[in-house]
Amino acid sequence: MKQHPLCTDCENPVTPLGLPIPRGMKQQWAANETRRRFLGRSGKVLGWAALAGLFGELCVRSYGEGSDIGSPSPAGNALGLPHFAPKAKRAIYLFMSGGPPQMDLFDYKPSLAAQFNKDMPDSIRGNQQLTGMTAGQAHFPVAPPHWPFGQHGKTGTWVSSLLPYTARMVDELTIIKTTNTDAINHEPAIMLMNTGNMNAGKPCLGAWLAYGLGSMNDNLPTFIVLQTKTNPKENNQPVSSRLWGSGFLSSEYAGVGLRSGSDPVLYLADPAGVDRAVRREMLDTVEQINRQMLAEIGDPETNARIAQYEMAFRMQSSVPELTDLTKEPQSTWDLYGPEAKEPGTFAHNCLLARRMAERGVRFTQIYKRGWDVHGDVVGTLPILCQETDRGAYALVTDLKRRGLLDDTLVIWAGEFGRTVYSQGGLSQENYGRDHHPRCFTTWMAGGGVRPGITYGETDDYSYNVVKDPVHVRDFNATILHCLGIDHSKFTYKFQGLDQKLTSPVPAHVVQGLLA
Amino acid sequence: MIAAEKLWAALKLLRTRDVSPPWLWTSGLSVLLVALPFAVRLDGQQHADWLQFLGRFHPLLVHLPIGLLVLLSILEVAANSRPNLRDAAGFVLYLTLVTGAISLIFGILLAYGGGVVGSTVMRHMWGGIALLIELLVCATVRPAWISGRIERAYPTLLAVTLLTLAWTAHQGGSLTHGNDYLTDYMPGPLKRLFPSSASDAAYAGSVYVRRIHPILDAKCAACHGASKERAGLRLDFYELLMKGSKDGAVIAPGNPDHSLLLQRVTLSPSDHHFMPAEGRTPLSPDEIADIRTWILAGASPTATSVPGITLIAENAELPIQPVADYSSLMTEIRAMQSSQGAKLVAVSAKPSDGLILQTVDIAFKFDDAQLAPFRRFAPFIVEAELGRTAVSDDCFDTLSKFTNLRALHLEGTAVTGRSLSKLSSLSQLRYLNLSGTKVTSEALGPLKGMPNLHHIYLFDTPAESSSQATDSTLRSTQ
Repeated sequence: MKQHPLCTDCENPVTPLGLPIPRGMKQQWAANETRRRFLGRSGKVLGWAALAGLFGELCVRSYGEGSDIGSPSPAGNALGLPHFAPKAKRAIYLFMSGGPPQMDLFDYKPSLAAQFNKDMPDSIRGNQQLTGMTAGQAHFPVAPPHWPFGQHGKTGTWVSSLLPYTARMVDELTIIKTTNTDAINHEPAIMLMNTGNMNAGKPCLGAWLAYGLGSMNDNLPTFIVLQTKTNPKENNQPVSSRLWGSGFLSSEYAGVGLRSGSDPVLYLADPAGVDRAVRREMLDTVEQINRQMLAEIGDPETNARIAQYEMAFRMQSSVPELTDLTKEPQSTWDLYGPEAKEPGTFAHNCLLARRMAERGVRFTQIYKRGWDVHGDVVGTLPILCQETDRGAYALVTDLKRRGLLDDTLVIWAGEFGRTVYSQGGLSQENYGRDHHPRCFTTWMAGGGVRPGITYGETDDYSYNVVKDPVHVRDFNATILHCLGIDHSKFTYKFQGLDQKLTSPVPAHVVQGLLA
Repeated sequence: MIAAEKLWAALKLLRTRDVSPPWLWTSGLSVLLVALPFAVRLDGQQHADWLQFLGRFHPLLVHLPIGLLVLLSILEVAANSRPNLRDAAGFVLYLTLVTGAISLIFGILLAYGGGVVGSTVMRHMWGGIALLIELLVCATVRPAWISGRIERAYPTLLAVTLLTLAWTAHQGGSLTHGNDYLTDYMPGPLKRLFPSSASDAAYAGSVYVRRIHPILDAKCAACHGASKERAGLRLDFYELLMKGSKDGAVIAPGNPDHSLLLQRVTLSPSDHHFMPAEGRTPLSPDEIADIRTWILAGASPTATSVPGITLIAENAELPIQPVADYSSLMTEIRAMQSSQGAKLVAVSAKPSDGLILQTVDIAFKFDDAQLAPFRRFAPFIVEAELGRTAVSDDCFDTLSKFTNLRALHLEGTAVTGRSLSKLSSLSQLRYLNLSGTKVTSEALGPLKGMPNLHHIYLFDTPAESSSQATDSTLRSTQ
């Protein structure tokens, strides 16, 4: 019986000569694989290995040792940040997950009414690849917004009647109609918006800020994430912790999520019979053990763990104070509305965000899910707006009257916009909207941005950018600029690249948005 | 005729052997060199492209004779202990001479071909010519020095040559990098020795001075200014701007479309005539629009308002006063932080942006007594975050020493406003947060005259209701 070519039989060893490959290759192999060649190659390999051993440390040192941004400077922090005097010291990011429909809320297109149920011209869509949800549609009927718009504020900005509270503060807002992204599906788009990259594994904006600017209050996390309770009537796309993860940065810079229930941090109180001194002693011993481990293994994550234990200890006293709203005056409830008393609502989270801003939390991100209105826009959009409109208004107004808006940047954004054409059936009563990456509306307010402007123009179908596009990268670069950071210099060496929030593709600070 | 007579006299001298041939060569060449600028007159016109092409190698070539001249001096000194270097020095001297001559020619090609004129250019050129003549003389006297016939002349001459080199090189540096290249980042005390140049003082407060001149100064004056007058055009003073270039006026008052200046800056950036040239930062659309509006309105140097041009309000945001460098105090600052618990945080990586006093970690126990030691760092503190601390009205005694303070947070403290008048010495103060205190509107009286204080927050105070009429709780917008 013929020996199988890949058989591992000691007596009949397999050589390339026994493989079913062309005869020419076998000859070449036989000619090349001489003893001299083998020894020569081995020598070279050993030489390179020795060289890597000698100098390798120089090349890969940066990992785990923090950064090498600039030279250690006498001013600023250890990273030499902020690069210049910032306009904003902290930021609050209201993230509207799912993709709010821009033409139903901010991007006023009066000419759409006459286009009702007419097919959107192909020239508008061009050769765009649509999502699987509408790519098969035979028609792309234009669905004008169901709600009237009105002009508000001294600036006469058009806002939908769905947002009566937001309409009151338009003179404070920097509305960007031309934000645009590269991704058309939720996960890549939301990753791009939060981390500057569609692939998972990169640090998010908050982690970059925690790493770069550090904490202002040692007793609270630098970066806090608040989730809003979901409403079963809404189409809730999941958000996952990688959106506030620290990627390749040390995990102490990751966002600390507070629960949306009545107990924001579980097991915060010491267990019965354990007093503060005992808890302190226990933590000191654990720290000792961790330090031994760090000395032995040298994994930087051990450092992160030590820091997290310490933070948790301090949070035992700082978080109850933070979340105790009983001392808030009546004027607070008048502003935020009665809903704010219920933990987990958007208004409640906005109130917490204001309290965090007062207490020196660098970055707060509030997630509100449910904006993914593929169908029943008329049914769900009013609920979404009712849930978020007053909270956002109250937050900006409250920050302003307390003198915090001067150095706090508030950001309101989703991961993309929605299509002007209806997904599924269009009727006089209802319609649906698919994902739309080419333009969507976002707004900022406060430290560093110019109040009372609307930036950028879209076409009559709110489909393409006509003037002044703001890519997600530019959006993030502008946020960093407001916080005193030059996005192109704020880097971290990882995987052989100077990694940055704004990705290797060039990004620009949008000067037109700045105060 | 006179020249011929002189030549004849020189030849006679030569015949009588009073003057040796090298001296004759030296004087002849020196006369030629001095005559060169008169032969090749720098007329501010651009000439053949190839002249400029070659000329642009001048900055490259010129560093060779510079290095050689320095090397020559080193060799001459070193030869005192190692005599065999003396020969090398002689060779280097001739090499310096030859490369220097080539550099000079290329430099003149650059200035002539590119149509560059201006006082710095002229100084640089004459410096170069003087340098070459000095080198010629050096080469002439050196043999006499070697043979011991003269002693001091050659070293002195060499020293003078080096000084000339330094001066000429500085002129050249000012041409390429701008006049303030060296003084821009000079430490404060040194900088005061070099006062900055004046502007059109007679037109103070006008749209021209506040809006138009700064644009021209930032974007154009590097080539059209005192140091370089490309195309004979200077834009650093109103009269010179209106005088125009060698081709005539560049501003046609009331007629932006016929204003050469505006035409040049609005061309396509790829156009050969586009300004600013050589890849410098172009004017922004806002800047172009304002220049157009200003020309349309008559290009007046005195008009204090032109419809369509928004000036930054004169008293709104005065330029922020830079703070002195605190880097040398870092050890003390750290010691203070660890002893007091409160932090002094840098505003940015630039020390001149100052420090922020942060007390949030220990707010509940931070009182007047703890604040007092920070007087030590008073001039560096630009922002004091004392919100929700235990400070009282007595804190103003310390705070009044924080002369560079721009923002003061006192929200939620026990201050009553009784001593607010002590803040009136803080001319830089822009932001004062008194929310949640017991401050009344009467107590705010002394703050009225403070020029920069535009942001006062009085939310949840007795003063709030009365002040809402004046809208002072609201953030003022530019």
